[in-house]
Amino acid sequence: MSADLLAILRGLPWTVALTLGAFFAGALLGVPLVAARQSRILPLRFLAMVFIQIVRGIPPILWLFIIFFGLGMSVFPISPFNAALAGLGLIAAANMAEIYRGALASIHFGQWEASSALNLGRWSTLTDVVAPQAFRVALPSAASYLIGLMKETAVASTIGVSELAFQGNQLSQLTFRGLEVFALVGMFYILLSLPVAWLSRVADGYLQAKVAR
Amino acid sequence: MDGAVLHLGSGKPRMSRDNASAANGVASADERARKPLIKLDKLSKHYGNHTVLDGVDLEVMPGEVLAIIGPSGSGKSTLLRCINYLEPPDGGHVTIGDISLNAAAPAGRSELSTLRRSVGMVFQSFNLFPHMTVLRNVSLAQERVLGRSRRSADERSMQLLSRVGLADKAQQFPGRCSGGQQQRIAIARALALDPDVMLFDEPTSALDPELGLEVLAVMRELAETGMTMIVVTHEMSFAENVSDTVMIMADGKIIEKGPSADVMRNPQEERTKRFLRAVHDR
Repeated sequence: MSADLLAILRGLPWTVALTLGAFFAGALLGVPLVAARQSRILPLRFLAMVFIQIVRGIPPILWLFIIFFGLGMSVFPISPFNAALAGLGLIAAANMAEIYRGALASIHFGQWEASSALNLGRWSTLTDVVAPQAFRVALPSAASYLIGLMKETAVASTIGVSELAFQGNQLSQLTFRGLEVFALVGMFYILLSLPVAWLSRVADGYLQAKVAR
Repeated sequence: MDGAVLHLGSGKPRMSRDNASAANGVASADERARKPLIKLDKLSKHYGNHTVLDGVDLEVMPGEVLAIIGPSGSGKSTLLRCINYLEPPDGGHVTIGDISLNAAAPAGRSELSTLRRSVGMVFQSFNLFPHMTVLRNVSLAQERVLGRSRRSADERSMQLLSRVGLADKAQQFPGRCSGGQQQRIAIARALALDPDVMLFDEPTSALDPELGLEVLAVMRELAETGMTMIVVTHEMSFAENVSDTVMIMADGKIIEKGPSADVMRNPQEERTKRFLRAVHDR
């Protein structure tokens, strides 16, 4: 059993790396994406909208196949991990852009008006006034998306990334003890999600106490 | 709730008479030489087919306190918001000091910035920044717009917060303050940019009467310092006792305008009489 545990443990860093990598890529790329989505330039806004719809409309597993088997076999060689990172990062960017958009929409228009009346300028309005408030609104949705993304990384096993689900699958085929093995793998996913949920609650509580209205 | 609230009983501001007469056109020679601080020419604003402002002409002298009253939907707030282009008018001219904007042409960013620099605004719903301390609320624009250092901005903020009686709230967040306190902070925040004119958009309408009083007291003190003020309000006692000039609006037009005592006690227009009667009967 401890040998089994060790085998599964080997998948853990890959799952963590894939989750965090894709999430931070998405959180970062989501910013210019939402900026384009909200742009005053119509073609740019349209382009961003179409991009987000397409990325979110296709199942993650298909994106990985398109990147790994499609692009990877014909256009440029790509490792399974990089393909998974690119695919999930892309999806995370689209989803984070939508989370940001919702958060921005929740900011009372009076905040924009006060900023204009104070002559703050676009950059200061955004970075001093709107973004910090939007960040707080986006935090719970972003945290629950991070947990969702963490579970979603299991699809990377289909293109051969040796993360948790992949290791579990290997092990169950070796030992024919599928139930125990996959239950154990499930435990790992739960363990990974706990600190995220806890941290998001702490952060939210802290920020809420600060600005309690 | 200290200092600021205690001056309700004081008389009419010293300078009000001259200003009122100047605004009224019965001015002495040297008063006539003074230019209006704010001048609106044929200002108009439409939402689709609906006319909100119907060619409004208005002059406000330096130091004048003008109260705008009238039924809801009369265009009072829109007029106020057109003065600092929070809502761009679509016809006419806005002149503040040396800056003049033609509403027919789209306003450039630097023109807008110059215009807004001389105008402070206070909103009905305060619109403080909830994620910043009270001090930061007042200091932020001083640093970003006037380029003051953090220290000198904070110093100025503390002066202003003391003036509105809220120095002890500097490190609190706005959410911990009452509505009346929040509005007084908003006044300090607008004053921090040293505006030439202050616009008030129904500053007490979101407050219960008691909290409204402390805001009105701060506004009265401000009027006494000679600040030029345009106040959209439903507070008839403020219009009558603090403002120099009262202007009644209905349907996007000025119905009547004159020295506050005259308009409030002896209105000439039928529409004004009807409005004031409705207010008094309430």
